[in-house]
Amino acid sequence: MTAKELIYDSAIRAKVTQGLAILIVFSTGYYLYSNIVNNLHQMDLPFGFDFFSSTAGFDIGWSIVPYDPSMSYGRVYLVGITNTLILSALIILFSTLLGFIVGIMRLSRNLLVAQLARWYVEFVRNVPLLIQIVFWFIVVFSTLPGPRQGYGFLNLFFLNNRGFYLPAPVFEANFSWTLMAIVFAAVGSFVLCRWSREYKRQSGQHKAVYRPALFALLVFVTIIFIATGKPLHWSVPTLQGFNFQDGFYFPIAFMAAFISMTIYRSATIGEMVRAGIQSIDSGQREAATAIGFSRFKTLRLVVIPQAARAILPPMINAWLTTVKESSLAVAVGFPELVSVYMQTSLNQTGRAIEIVIMVMGFYMITSLLISFLLNLYNQRIQLQE
Amino acid sequence: MGNQSISKPELLEFIPKPSRLPAVPVDGFIGRLKKHLFSNIWNTLLTVSVFTLLFMLIKPFLDWAIFDAVWSASNRRECLNASPDGACWPGVIQWFNGLIYGRYPNDQQWRINLGFGLGILWLVPLAFKRVEQKILIALSAITLFPFLANFLFLGGSDNQFNYIVACVGLAYLLILYINIGLIYLDRKILGEYLEPLIGRFYQRRAALLGRLLCWLTVTVLLAFLFQNLTLLLVEVDSWGGLFLTLIISGFSIVMALPIGILLALGRRSHMPVFRWLSICTIELVRSVPLITVLFMSVTMLPLFFPNTMELNKLVQVLVAVCVFAGAYMAETVRGGLQGIPPGQFEAAKSVGLGYWYTMAFIILPQALRAMIPNIVTSFISLFKDTTLVSIIGLFDIMLMARNISIDKNWLGLHTEPLIAISILFFIFCYSMSQYSHRLEKKLKNK
Repeated sequence: MTAKELIYDSAIRAKVTQGLAILIVFSTGYYLYSNIVNNLHQMDLPFGFDFFSSTAGFDIGWSIVPYDPSMSYGRVYLVGITNTLILSALIILFSTLLGFIVGIMRLSRNLLVAQLARWYVEFVRNVPLLIQIVFWFIVVFSTLPGPRQGYGFLNLFFLNNRGFYLPAPVFEANFSWTLMAIVFAAVGSFVLCRWSREYKRQSGQHKAVYRPALFALLVFVTIIFIATGKPLHWSVPTLQGFNFQDGFYFPIAFMAAFISMTIYRSATIGEMVRAGIQSIDSGQREAATAIGFSRFKTLRLVVIPQAARAILPPMINAWLTTVKESSLAVAVGFPELVSVYMQTSLNQTGRAIEIVIMVMGFYMITSLLISFLLNLYNQRIQLQE
Repeated sequence: MGNQSISKPELLEFIPKPSRLPAVPVDGFIGRLKKHLFSNIWNTLLTVSVFTLLFMLIKPFLDWAIFDAVWSASNRRECLNASPDGACWPGVIQWFNGLIYGRYPNDQQWRINLGFGLGILWLVPLAFKRVEQKILIALSAITLFPFLANFLFLGGSDNQFNYIVACVGLAYLLILYINIGLIYLDRKILGEYLEPLIGRFYQRRAALLGRLLCWLTVTVLLAFLFQNLTLLLVEVDSWGGLFLTLIISGFSIVMALPIGILLALGRRSHMPVFRWLSICTIELVRSVPLITVLFMSVTMLPLFFPNTMELNKLVQVLVAVCVFAGAYMAETVRGGLQGIPPGQFEAAKSVGLGYWYTMAFIILPQALRAMIPNIVTSFISLFKDTTLVSIIGLFDIMLMARNISIDKNWLGLHTEPLIAISILFFIFCYSMSQYSHRLEKKLKNK
C-alpha cells in the first residue's frame, strides 16, 4: 500500500480521526482536572462526600420528611428531592387534567369557548414562566389576608398569606389491615379483569364481572375497615392564636409555584391534546357514527385510543420538562432541591463540584427513568405494523 | 318449460320522499353568530355563562389597569392618594429606560441603539428577492456582527483585534448595501469593477480576488476613518434590562446553531466515538434544568480554570446558556436531517462529493431551510428562559423590574412592573410565534 492509498483509505481515516478525538477529549479533561485539583488544594477543600454526614444546621421551611437543623446534609438532600418530587407530581397530575380540558375547549363548536381557550394558551405560553411564578407569589398569595381574616371553606380548608391548610388523614396502628385489604382488592380486581378478558376471547361471551367485582371488593374493604375499629381519622386545621394548628399545609411559595406551573404546562398539554385529536381522520368518527356508536362511545373507543398514540410521546416530554421546571420554584424560595442544596448547602460548605454532581445526577436519573418507563408503555400502545 | 306460471314478484311503486328543505343560509354577522354561539339551548347557555365569567374577570382588570389608573405622579404615596384602587404606572414609566437599557449610562445609550440597528440592517437583505448568496450574509452576521456589537457595547480602546474585526464587519455591511443598490440599478457590483485590473496579473480567481480586494480597501479606509474614535468603557456589570436579555438570548441562539449542527452530525455519524460523545453530551445537558446549568457555571466553572484567570459573570452565563441551547438545537437539527430523503445523500456520493461537501452544500442547506420555523420556536423559548439569569443576579429585564419595588420612591410597587414586562414579552413572543407559523405554512406549500 502506498502512502497515498493509506491517506485516502476511509477505514484508516476514521480510526485516526477517532483516535485524535479521544486524545483531545482526554487531554482537555486532564488539563481541567489538574486545574481543579490545584484550585481545590489552594482552597483547602479536598474532593469528597464526607460533608454528607455532617450537621447542616439551617432550617428548612417546609418538608414532607421530618427535618430539623441538627440533621445532616444527607437529610437535606432527601428533603430537597421529596419536595421536588411532590411538587412535580402534583403539577403533572393537575396540568394534565387541565390540559385535556383546554384542548377539548379549543375544539369546541362554540366560538366563544374556542377563542377563550385559544387566548388562554397564547397568553400563558408567551409570558416567561418565571414572571408568572413571581406574579402568583407576590401579587396573589402574598397579598392574601392573615390567618385570622383568611378565607375558609366548609371549616375544613383555609387559605391565607401563610399557606393553604387542609385536613390530613391520621392513620392508627390497625390501619395496616385496611391497607392489606386494599392491596388484596386491587390484585383481585386485576386478576378478575384478566380472567374475564381471557374468557371473552375464548368463548366470545361477555361476563359482567367489572361492576359486581368492584362492588364486592369495596364492601370487603369497608367491612375490614369497620371491623378493625375505623383506624383513620382526619386532623382538621383549627385556628389557635395567630396561626392554624393540626392538619396539613402547603406554604404560599408552594402554592404559587404549583398554580403557575400547572397553568403554564396545561397550555402546552392543551395544544398537544388538540393536535392529537385533530390528527384523527374525520372518516374514523363518521364510520363510528355510521355503525351506530354514541358520541361517548365514539370518543372512548375510536378517537381517544388513536389520539393517545399521537399525544403520548410529546406528553412524556412535557412531564419530563415539568420535573426539570419545578426547579424554578427556587425563585420564590420554595425549599426544593436546587434551593436547599445548590443554594444554601453549597454556600455553607463550598463543595461546588460534589453538590453540582449530586443535583444534576438526581435530575438525570429521574429523566432517564421516566423516559425509559414511559417509552416501554409507549411501545406497547403503538400500532404494531 | 314454457309454462309462465311463476308469478312475477309484484313491483313496488317508487314513491319519492318529499325533498328536504334547503339549508338556512348562515351568511352575515347575525347568521354566523347564531350558528357558532346560539345554535341550541345548551350552546346558548354556555355562551352566556362564559361571557359572564369573562366580563367578571376582565372588567375589574380594566378598571384597575386603565380607568382607575394613575398616569403621572412622582412617588407611590401620590399614586395611592390619587386612586388607591388603580394601577400606578408612573413608576414603570420613570423606570422604563432602566427596563430597556439596565444601568447603562444615559449618554452612551445611542451605542446600544446603533448596535441593534446595524444588526437589523444586516439581516434585512435576507428578505430581498434579488440578493444572492444569502447564506454568506447570514454567516457573516453570525461571525462578524458579535465583534462589531462588542466593540460598540463595551467600548474602551485597548482591544486592537476587536477594533479591526469590527471594521471588517462594518466594511462588509457597507459593501453589501452599496452592492444591493447597484444590483437594483442593474449595474455591476463593486468587486467586478476591479476584475479586469486583477485579471491582468492573475487570471484564475479574478472575481473572488476583486471582491476581497474591494473589501480590504474599504476596511482599511474605515479603520483609518475611525482611528481616533474612542468609546467610553462601559463595564459588563452595568449592562442590563431588555438589552442584556436580548444579548444573552441572541448570542446563545447564534452560537447554538453551529454547536447544534456539530452535535447532530456527530449523533448521526458512523464513527462510534463521535456518536457516543455527541449522544452523551446531548442527553446529559437535556436531562437537567437550565437553572442547575447556570448555578454550575457560576460555582463550578471557575474551578476548571487556573485561578489567575478572571471570568466575568456574563461570560459564565453565556457559556452555560450556549451549551444548553446547543444541546436542544442538536435535536432540532437532527429532526431536520431526518427529513432529508436518502436519495440526496446517495446523489451527492455518486457525483463524488465527500462528507463535508455533501453536508455543507447538499444536506444542511435543505435541512436548515426546513428548520427555520423550529429555530424561531427555540429562540422564543430561549428568550423566555433567559429570565432565569436574574436568579443568579444578572440585571436582566426581570431583575430590573423587581428592583423598582425597592426604589425609595416606589417602595412596594410589585404588580405594575411585572404586568408591564409580561406585556412586553407577550408582544415579542407572540409576534415571533405568528411569524414562524406563517413561515411553516409557506414552506409546507412549496
